[in-house]
Amino acid sequence: MKALLKNRSYDYIIFIALFLLILPLGHLLGVISVNTISLWGRYFCFAIAAIGLDMLWGYTGILCMCQALFFCMGGYGIAMHMLLSASGEGTYGKAIPDFMVWNQVTELPFFWEPFHYFPLALICALIVPGLFAGVFGYFIFRSRLKGVYFAIITQALALAMWLIFLRNETMLGGTNGLTDFKQLAGLDLTAASTKLLLYITSCLVLIGVYIGSKKLVNSKFGKVLVAIRDSESRIRYTSYEIKNYQVTIFVIAAVIAAIGGILYVPQTGIITPGRMDVKASIEMIIWVALGGRGKLKGAVFGTLLVNFLYSIFTSTLPGSWLYVIGILFIVTVLYLDQGVIGLPQQIKTYFAKRKSAKL
Amino acid sequence: MVKRKTALYIRLLLALLPLIICATNDGDIRLLMSPDKATKSDAFSRLLAAKQVATFPVLNAINSKKLFAYNGQLVSIGEKNSTANQVTYDVFLLFPEIKTLTDKNNAPLKVPLSALQPIKFSRKERLSLIPLLPYINLTSTDKDLRKLAYTQFQNTPKLEDISILEAASAKETDTELMRFAAETIAIVKLLNATTPEAQIAQIRRLEANKGDNTVFLLNSYLENTTPLTPNVQKRAREAITNLNDRATRIDWIQNLFSGLSLGSILILIALGLSIIYGLAGVINMAHGEFMMIGAYTTFCVQELFKISNGGALSDAFFWLSIPIAFLVSGTFGLVIERLIIRKLYGSPLQSLLATWGVSLVFIQLARTIFGDLTSVKAPALLSGGWHVAPQLVLPYNRIFIIIITTVMIILTFLFLYKSRLGLRIRAVTQNRNMSACLGISTKKIDAMTFFIGSGIAGIAGCCMTLIGNIVPDMGQTYIVDSFLVVVTGGVGNLFGTIVAGLGIGQFTKILEPIFHAVYGKVIILGIIIFFLQFKPRGLFPPKGRIADD
Amino acid sequence: MTIKLLQKKSQGLLAILLSATLLLASCGKKEKTATPSSATETSSTTKAEPIKIGVLHSLSGTMAISEVSLKDVVEMAVEEINAAGGVLGKPLKTEVVDPASDWDLFAEKSKELLIEKKVSAVFGCWTSVSRKSVLPVFEENNGLLFYPVQYEGEECSKSVIYTGATPNQQLIPAAEYMMSEEGGGYKKFYLLGTDYVFPRTANKILKAFLLAKGVPEKNIIEEYTPFHHQDYQTIVSKIKKFSAGGKACVLSTVNGDSNVPFYKEFANQGLTATSCPIMAFSVAEDELRAMDTEFLAGHLAAWNYYQSAASPANDTFVKNFKAFCAKNNLPGGSARVTDDPICWAYTGVYLWKQAVEKAGSVAVDQVRPALYGMSFNSPGGLVKMDPRNHHLAKPVKIGEIKVDGQFDVIWETEGLVDPEPWSKYTSPNKSCDHVNHGGTYTK
Repeated sequence: MKALLKNRSYDYIIFIALFLLILPLGHLLGVISVNTISLWGRYFCFAIAAIGLDMLWGYTGILCMCQALFFCMGGYGIAMHMLLSASGEGTYGKAIPDFMVWNQVTELPFFWEPFHYFPLALICALIVPGLFAGVFGYFIFRSRLKGVYFAIITQALALAMWLIFLRNETMLGGTNGLTDFKQLAGLDLTAASTKLLLYITSCLVLIGVYIGSKKLVNSKFGKVLVAIRDSESRIRYTSYEIKNYQVTIFVIAAVIAAIGGILYVPQTGIITPGRMDVKASIEMIIWVALGGRGKLKGAVFGTLLVNFLYSIFTSTLPGSWLYVIGILFIVTVLYLDQGVIGLPQQIKTYFAKRKSAKL
Repeated sequence: MVKRKTALYIRLLLALLPLIICATNDGDIRLLMSPDKATKSDAFSRLLAAKQVATFPVLNAINSKKLFAYNGQLVSIGEKNSTANQVTYDVFLLFPEIKTLTDKNNAPLKVPLSALQPIKFSRKERLSLIPLLPYINLTSTDKDLRKLAYTQFQNTPKLEDISILEAASAKETDTELMRFAAETIAIVKLLNATTPEAQIAQIRRLEANKGDNTVFLLNSYLENTTPLTPNVQKRAREAITNLNDRATRIDWIQNLFSGLSLGSILILIALGLSIIYGLAGVINMAHGEFMMIGAYTTFCVQELFKISNGGALSDAFFWLSIPIAFLVSGTFGLVIERLIIRKLYGSPLQSLLATWGVSLVFIQLARTIFGDLTSVKAPALLSGGWHVAPQLVLPYNRIFIIIITTVMIILTFLFLYKSRLGLRIRAVTQNRNMSACLGISTKKIDAMTFFIGSGIAGIAGCCMTLIGNIVPDMGQTYIVDSFLVVVTGGVGNLFGTIVAGLGIGQFTKILEPIFHAVYGKVIILGIIIFFLQFKPRGLFPPKGRIADD
Repeated sequence: MTIKLLQKKSQGLLAILLSATLLLASCGKKEKTATPSSATETSSTTKAEPIKIGVLHSLSGTMAISEVSLKDVVEMAVEEINAAGGVLGKPLKTEVVDPASDWDLFAEKSKELLIEKKVSAVFGCWTSVSRKSVLPVFEENNGLLFYPVQYEGEECSKSVIYTGATPNQQLIPAAEYMMSEEGGGYKKFYLLGTDYVFPRTANKILKAFLLAKGVPEKNIIEEYTPFHHQDYQTIVSKIKKFSAGGKACVLSTVNGDSNVPFYKEFANQGLTATSCPIMAFSVAEDELRAMDTEFLAGHLAAWNYYQSAASPANDTFVKNFKAFCAKNNLPGGSARVTDDPICWAYTGVYLWKQAVEKAGSVAVDQVRPALYGMSFNSPGGLVKMDPRNHHLAKPVKIGEIKVDGQFDVIWETEGLVDPEPWSKYTSPNKSCDHVNHGGTYTK
């Protein structure tokens, strides 16, 4: 805390005070509803995924249009576990999830088996997206795909995976996804205390991921990433194996997204392929861009802001909120190249310029 | 005394009755108009038993609940005419022949429903018409109904029908229906043939006829007819194999065609995308929305035509809407370029995001203005399909899209390689700074390119109205695939775009029947990623110094 | 140095400012939640305080195509009820939110409606996934959802009033009709659907029914396409091959915007309603509105209500809906049409109103039992709530598409068909009874 004060990092203090003290306390005192709490808990999960994306895009210059896919992979992992842990309690009273009974499946598919046990399920939910990103990234970066090519290939990947998850044969619930969760690690998900606990966990994980990522981007590894962003060929000439760096950061981003997904699903109560369609990934990019890419703080701030506005506008301006978000977005890209977080700096330079011009 | 006399009369009448019916159904036809229910039903059942061709139109009208009495005649209604204050119908006479009733000036008589007195039959009576329906349908003027009738005869083949079928077959002029008639006659003969020679002869006829249902009919013939000589069985099996082989070949042709049509759609969309990217380095996420604008323009043109023509619509609107869609979409592109994209040249990812915002706004705008679901009536010329060979139908709308894509490709090439403006565009694409130094106004060129690129998207949208509906987010359907086309072909390379578009279209359609549409897509993506391992910058990568980043 | 410091400071300032706004906003929300709760407590004394009902239909995104009309008709019903004096002497007020075809947002918005806005009932949802998404929320918070769309059954929540059809009120009569002599005596069935839970379950039930009726397995084909599928070339060729030999029909659960490309391709490849009719379970007047319907004419649909159904109640309903759309400048204006889900969304509001009046309270626990056995003269004819579960008994009608996008009712059941949330063909030993068994039970 002292160190924080010393660095005049008011924003961190405010963040912690607001979300770790005021909101939970307010809830305990009955001023803030449990709905608000889980709402913010969910935003934090998005923010975690956004940090991963910012490291990829903001620091390494790789525009990944399938971040939501990894987010969902994590989410599906934990959702599978929650369904299995409540097996036998569904409408059909069978040992397999309800949606499989609809689909006339009688036996649990083999890949569901590991998700019976919480620790194993957690590990799977993190390893599967990591591994997937590793293999995919290896082939993509090996052929030196970058920039627009990379963006479009990842977008196509997101589309293809979305279509696969939509299928019912894949045994992941099809369009309806996975829903009707009862408990997580023995905790009743409908209880307000569980919700608060999940909220605080999300907040702490967000802070943890933020600090970890900050350390990473300030390390030597992080410097190489920025160098790759600024000039790939130059860094290649200095005999760095760029591919390894790119694959590593791609995997890290994917795992971070999966962490977000794992925390997201118990708080939302449903995970569907709709969370991972082409649009979902672009939205994540928008959060980062709006907050200010290349700054982890920006990614977090942008995510919280956009999602908060989304929640507000869909209730207060049903029918016209798309205009607001769309225009806000264009304006940000056009005029705020540092994102919202860089706005004060921009204003200052503007006034400084005017001042010097007057002089 | 009187009683006896009446009894005698009745007996006489009963004895004569069959004769009267055979001689003419006129009386029964008249009796249908009788107010007495029993008389009416009796007359109806006698007509049913007589199976006279001349009475079929009347029975048909009963079946479709459209039999009316008008001025003491049996009539049915045809064309509906609605004016502002009244709905009238054309009326035609059913017996002894079908004839449209006319007024004094020889114009078709228009009668409101209220002036017609419906002749009702119970549902049970109408159901009793069912065995007769094939015969009735066979005399229908509706092609589809006749086709249905032949299929019905195939299901209940009876030798006594052969003369009726042959008579009907002789009247057919349409090749498709002639094929159906021949198939039906052959199968009836086959089922009633007793000698192996006669059976083989009919099987040969069936095979040569290449009818739609032949394989099905032969299969059930083999299954259900027990004493068949090995020779006949062999011949039938051969015929089935040959026809199946032919069907496989036709499937291939149909698939190739589908691939070509999908490929042209992708090319048409990717063409504009490719030009814009090649020149300005902007990945235009709103490209699909320019397409949507083109589609809505077509819709607007249609509505305007309707208004100016008082509700009627001629095909001309569609042809006219093609250039209009080009202009409107192009103008929108120009405006967006001026307002937004101009400020973002040199930062492709920023412009990608800004155009995404533009697309959000456009989609919502379309939703607010047009509501949600609209569609364009395809011109009559482009409805239906071209019957190339038996069972091979190529829809006209898809052929049209292939043609328009070809035309657009040629025009684009001519424009880029033969015109001064095209020369400038190519110059700026190759080296922006050098071109600027040589006095080319790059800003003007940028704007022009955007206009043309968006315009082509508008034409694509206009074409898309032929195969789907117009919804605000229609642009999203093909856009990811089109991006893939651009990337695979080599960004900014027109020739590459064309080759990649055709390739992806063909591959998709080849894989689709084998795997499922979805897995086909995944495999395509796998192939593309694999392909990019060897050609990371697409099929035709830019060469030389401009290739560097 | 100073610049850096300044920068830090201003950043901090900005952060403070924004956090304050966020906090304020959340407080604002909280204030909002505080008022209605006090309002419900004092509602018996202050008569003018409106009763709030939630409307949860997507107004943007892919489902907006279908759902916007339902929002409109619910607002119209509320306007009518208010003009007639409201409910229990109090006016109704709609709380409209936009879940934006985003299934997660459906859950979020339903929480907002129930917890923050404290609405008495919610009218909403279209897709199965959106209903499944909000279901836990409604059960947890003891809400009441009126769901107006035909659905796949196999569900019987105490928190949902299903005003749409169950499978046996749509699928089975339609299949029976197609097999009957009158319907054409079809022997081969191509079950085509969009790949999601309604078509999957519908086809499961249809297949079980057809097999039970002696249709051989080889004469039934099941096929699914992804959402928003546009390219039906391959599938229509398959249907064409399948229909060779006649006596084949398509039972279609193709959803939304895929229908136009499907029907167009169908016509263009030379298939017609006489050679191989399509019986659709998801195509209604609202989808046909402004569509080029010429190539659709003659194909069939099965619903419980059609705009063309002749009854005085329906005539006024259709007239009022058109007038309402024109008056409020909604897209389409007086050219708008009514259809089955629109009718049941409208009926839902009135059923709720009647139940509230019967119970004398808007409390969910009192409204729910009041609904059992309640009948209402809906635009689709007299319908009756089941005495034991949350579904409606209603007539089933087969319609033939006319050139103008309306339907000719060519067949209908005699009397009302009782709902079966659990199809007797696929779950013969299950049933639903909220009165005696507290929901789904095994016989």
